[in-house]
Amino acid sequence: MDSLEKRANLANTSAEDGSAAAQGTASLDRREFLGLAAAGLAAAGLGAVALGLEACKSPQSIAASDWVNVGVIGVGSRAQHMMQMLLRVPGVRITGLCDIYPPRLDEGRKVTGQQTTGYADYRKMLEAKDVDAVMVSTPLGLHAEHVIASLESGRPVYGEKSMGRTLDDCNRIREAARRTGKMLQVGLQYTYAPWYVEALNQIRKGNIGQVTQVNSYWHRNNNWRRPVPKGASADLEHLLNWRLYKQWSGGLFAELGSHQINFANTIFGAMPESVMASGGIDFWKDGREIEDNVHAILRYPGGQTLQGSFITTNRLEGAQERIYGTGGSIELTHTDATYYAEPWYPGSAIPPEIQIQHKLVTGPTYSAEQPYHGKGKMPIQGSASDADLASVGAFVDCIRNHKRPLADENAGWSQSVTVALCNRAMKLGSKLTLQEFLASENPAEV
Amino acid sequence: MTLNEISPHLVSLQAAPFRVHRHRAMGTEFCLYLEALDQEHAEANERACFQAVFEEIDRVEAAFSRFRASSEISRLNRQAALGPVVTDPEVFRILAETQSIWLKTGGAFDIALGRLSRAWGFAERAPHVPEPEAIAEALSASGMALVALDAEWRTVQFLQPGVELDLGAFAKGYAVDCALEQLRAAGVAGVIDAGHSSIAAVGEPFESQWLIEVRLPPLEEPQDWSDPLSADCAADRVLSAVPLHGRAMASSGIMEQKFEQGGQTFSHLLDARIAPSIAPRLDRGIAPSVNPRKPGSDPARLMLQTTVLAPTSATADALSTALFILGPEEGSAVLSNFENACALWVYQDAAGIGWQHRNWPGEISGLNEGNCSSAFHPQ
Repeated sequence: MDSLEKRANLANTSAEDGSAAAQGTASLDRREFLGLAAAGLAAAGLGAVALGLEACKSPQSIAASDWVNVGVIGVGSRAQHMMQMLLRVPGVRITGLCDIYPPRLDEGRKVTGQQTTGYADYRKMLEAKDVDAVMVSTPLGLHAEHVIASLESGRPVYGEKSMGRTLDDCNRIREAARRTGKMLQVGLQYTYAPWYVEALNQIRKGNIGQVTQVNSYWHRNNNWRRPVPKGASADLEHLLNWRLYKQWSGGLFAELGSHQINFANTIFGAMPESVMASGGIDFWKDGREIEDNVHAILRYPGGQTLQGSFITTNRLEGAQERIYGTGGSIELTHTDATYYAEPWYPGSAIPPEIQIQHKLVTGPTYSAEQPYHGKGKMPIQGSASDADLASVGAFVDCIRNHKRPLADENAGWSQSVTVALCNRAMKLGSKLTLQEFLASENPAEV
Repeated sequence: MTLNEISPHLVSLQAAPFRVHRHRAMGTEFCLYLEALDQEHAEANERACFQAVFEEIDRVEAAFSRFRASSEISRLNRQAALGPVVTDPEVFRILAETQSIWLKTGGAFDIALGRLSRAWGFAERAPHVPEPEAIAEALSASGMALVALDAEWRTVQFLQPGVELDLGAFAKGYAVDCALEQLRAAGVAGVIDAGHSSIAAVGEPFESQWLIEVRLPPLEEPQDWSDPLSADCAADRVLSAVPLHGRAMASSGIMEQKFEQGGQTFSHLLDARIAPSIAPRLDRGIAPSVNPRKPGSDPARLMLQTTVLAPTSATADALSTALFILGPEEGSAVLSNFENACALWVYQDAAGIGWQHRNWPGEISGLNEGNCSSAFHPQ
């Protein structure tokens, strides 16, 4: 195969060999400065590494000192899923479950298959000697309290996304991670998804030209509610449906948008300099306090744009993001990545190098301004791995080998402050710059 | 509207009010029949209920589907031949359960036949009779005997390269069991029907007051639609209607995914004990060799359908597959290894269509036991 064509065809990456991880190029300085996840690719191993041959490592061969005992604060549905993922990593035990709603402890024990110790008070769990690391998967409004206390207890923490609900939460969490020197990995699991890593590699190599825009969609068609037992109090309903109430939730920007916002920040190597956003409770008028549809336009310092749309009334688009470059596009979903070439024509923005490639490669061709409905190429085969599993695999790997996680407190801060910026801009109903937001007089409010 | 108008396998003798919701997953359609909730638990909670049920089904599919590259089963299929792979307690428990049923059914239920299924083209939905060498090769990497489970370390290891797990209908049944838990937790009564082959219910009135019909499988296109007797052969007729009483019902039949080649009809249900497919033939009057290793069975008999009631939907699904392969004689003996389970076999032999059962709780009508009703004699 011609080398140019090779480059045009985004390279195959084995989900298991983690070679993509070794190809990260950005410097540590830049990572320190921007607090971005992907810049650390070269510095830290990916979960995929731990889950390839490592996953086949016989658990008997793991030294007793390398076993990781995890305590979980908040044992809802997300936590139960992530506990399953943790228990697929050789050498991991779940030794503590903490939740103020007793049925969750029983559900958690069903996942562990054991009579795992239950706690109603997380402080008691943090006193336990048999907990080496903590997973925090409580409602967003409680992340700061639980993550900070866990870090201060001297343990590494896996904190679900979004890192914090408000600017103040984010600042305090980042400060605690730096002060304690304990490892914090934020649940931005697509950071570890091989097809995202490979897409990022290809983007950085310039294989889709200059990226000018990202359109991201996370479209659902449901009311986002959980069933509530008959006769439940209003308080319990608020607790079970915490995502719908301002006190606990960052709304759709946080719960759906976090991953895509994080990836845009990573691609553009920066946080947005300004945001315009809108949304409302326009369909599910059922007593909820958070918007059922939100939309934002984020402008980045390099003149790029992220257009994000997160809705709950139609799921044609599903969860996907499209990275638009002058020479091609990459579409990313929860399981794969697809590449589309821009057909060259006189005067187009395609860089000369990519033009040459396109003369060699038969790619999809567009007819005039008609949208392209054909197939793309799927050379980035990433779906052979589960992003959550890769993410917790990396967490355990970082604990054992004293590495910094890619999705560390800096990446989490960048992502969750961007979410908070979107929410504040939506509340204000006007354009808001990052600078204005960071200087906000009420950082503890949404 | 009665349930019967919605699903041909369900019938209500007491017209309790219900609402129906549908969801496509695991290559089939799941129907959820929910009791009509009172005003207090009106629309929002009903929606939350069916969302939770369908999300649970999707969760099970995401972990157990061999069609999903990101599933745990796919990960085991990729890695377990390289060494022992640690899996989570739920997946391990399910694999251990399938191993136990494999033992109790003398190998008739076997989830490690992915390679064999692939050789027959069922995996790619392009079924064909493989060459004998291909069958032999597939068999060398097929069977639960090649799967080592270590409960202490929760590991799965394949003793041969090429082994492929395929939980098939068992995963569908397990999804029904898990989905029912969601209804139970919400305190709502309902029925879940997975593609008309796995049915289970929770709460009154669905568990005991509602009757589930077992129907005669449609046999083949009638030769003459104007002839009522011929058309009857094609119509699915009610054989029995039973309440679930806390049990789940599952059916396996020849009509799903059968294919014809060289004048023979083959079933998708594989019997690794003898090798290929059980290769039942629909040729009338001919005595196909259903299973040469079954000395007790009638070689002239062609199994059409088995229906099982068992404590869980997953067990019912496993048993309906195994008992289809085993037939009534061997199957009845195997059934005694399972508590609170019963079965109804429908078959065709030289005399026509007949049935046998073990511990079946309801009346069976429309056919004569052990023999064929002349009304259904496909002459």
